[in-house]
Amino acid sequence: MLRDAAIRVGGMVRLNTVLLVREPGPLISRLVMPLVLMVMLRPLYAAALPGPATATAAVSTPGLTGTGQAVTGMAVMFSLLALSMVGSGILTERMWHTWDRLRGSATSAAEILVAKAVPALGFLAAQQVVVFGVGVVALGLDVRNAGLLALAVGMWVAMLLGVGMALGTLSRSHAEMAAAQDVGGLVLTGLGGALVPLAVLPHWVRSVAPVSPGYWGVRAMTSALAGDAGQVGRSVAVLGAVAVLAMGVAVWRIRRGWSRSKLL
Amino acid sequence: MHDPPATGGEQGAAVLSVNGLRKRYGSVKALDGFDLAVAPGEVTGLLGHNGAGKTTFVEVVSGLVRPDAGTVRISGIDALQSARAGRAARSLVGVAPQQQAVYLSASVRENLRLYASLLGLAGRAALREIDAVADELMLADVIDRPVGLLSGGQRRRVQAASALLGSPPLLLLDEPTVGADPQTRQALLAAVRARAAAGAAVVYTTHYLPELVDLGATLAVARDGQVVARGTQAELLADLPARLEVTFAGPVPAELVGRGEVASRDGTEGDAVLTLRTAHPTSALAEIVSRGYVLRGVDVRHATLDDLFAALRQTRPGVDHAA
Repeated sequence: MLRDAAIRVGGMVRLNTVLLVREPGPLISRLVMPLVLMVMLRPLYAAALPGPATATAAVSTPGLTGTGQAVTGMAVMFSLLALSMVGSGILTERMWHTWDRLRGSATSAAEILVAKAVPALGFLAAQQVVVFGVGVVALGLDVRNAGLLALAVGMWVAMLLGVGMALGTLSRSHAEMAAAQDVGGLVLTGLGGALVPLAVLPHWVRSVAPVSPGYWGVRAMTSALAGDAGQVGRSVAVLGAVAVLAMGVAVWRIRRGWSRSKLL
Repeated sequence: MHDPPATGGEQGAAVLSVNGLRKRYGSVKALDGFDLAVAPGEVTGLLGHNGAGKTTFVEVVSGLVRPDAGTVRISGIDALQSARAGRAARSLVGVAPQQQAVYLSASVRENLRLYASLLGLAGRAALREIDAVADELMLADVIDRPVGLLSGGQRRRVQAASALLGSPPLLLLDEPTVGADPQTRQALLAAVRARAAAGAAVVYTTHYLPELVDLGATLAVARDGQVVARGTQAELLADLPARLEVTFAGPVPAELVGRGEVASRDGTEGDAVLTLRTAHPTSALAEIVSRGYVLRGVDVRHATLDDLFAALRQTRPGVDHAA
């Protein structure tokens, strides 16, 4: 039983990896663009951020530097690729009708989602290692606790994968999904403080920022850089809850099935 | 045509047994008490006009759609009992859906490898099975090409091959030859015959009725979400009238004119043809001959599946063998 499940998941992971690799453009751009932007924007962030003496925990992680903001901000922003990788992957399969072939097999909904997530997870792990690695080696990023950082990044990515799965199963067309990604990207990066540090955003934005999972992603990573285990713990708990909720929605949607009257 | 096979209801334990399936989409009753049993080694041609419920039936059996009521048993497993039972039942089914469902940017081998893995096949066993099915459906030459670069007929074969992998005990083939070239059709029919000969139960929906003759299939006629007729081809065609064409030397006698369609015969001087539709063409002809008319020719055409299909448009067929 377990052996069969492993074979099924392995087969789906293999094919999903093939499909990703056959279209490498998005992967390459998402690997290169954060490196370029974090180098370009680092001076801007350094000038914009309040000094350690004036920063408050409510606005920004104490001690966060321009380099820290540039690296974590770009890591968060470009890891949104997970949304499109998983979401579009599911939606494309629904359009190709191969999704129904998977559902019509002995495979469970959870197995299908795991197999969709694994290749994306692999790529994202590589992307985050490259972004933070370049940050440390080339930009002098100070990482106080690498373990906490790995935990923060891992939970952020898990949350993104979950939301991507939910979007892929709930969207009725690529246009609908693109709209959801646009809005989601704005909420996750803009409102979360990845693109522009929260410290320089209007007060009302700072007030509503915690509704964005992006806020907790940035906070988890910047707190990990500062070695603040308590703050990382609180942030990853929120991210974990969102991830579980989103994955639950995706599993429920797959089990419920689709009628033939939808747009796809 | 092969010898008439027994239908699922008459033979031993059916591989597929569905009873009382009901499925409603809003105000539309897609399935309304759909019953069908298919025995091992039996090919059942599922006939019906668009909207008769054929595809919904396939979707229910393959686990894509949950019915509002009814039961589905596959090799004795109650597929609707639980999610686990459903997966166990689906592992016994090879499905070729009506719509093309293949990974276009992956090669034929990569596609088939995925579907083999879904059956729990891995390693050399999977590769051997893939090569065998690819040979059987004439895909060996293109096995490493992306499916997106193949012709429509080749893609159809890839889809069918994915259903045949692992020789499942139940095959659901939903219009598998739509748009297929003759070569593809023959290859697929041969593969289906081979699977049935090896003991698989096959449900084959199609609008190409000669395929069902070729497969020696029993028939299940669906209409309005129900199976309204079930039996062998001979049984279902027996009650349909034959077409008797009698060509007279001269006009059709007045006393016979009201009994059928009258037409003049092309290329003759005054000869006419009387066409009768009757379940007893021999007696009808004997009666005409006994009246002493001079006949130029006689042609009897027994009912075909096309006639059965046409009859569906009008009334419920006279024979009702639904389980």
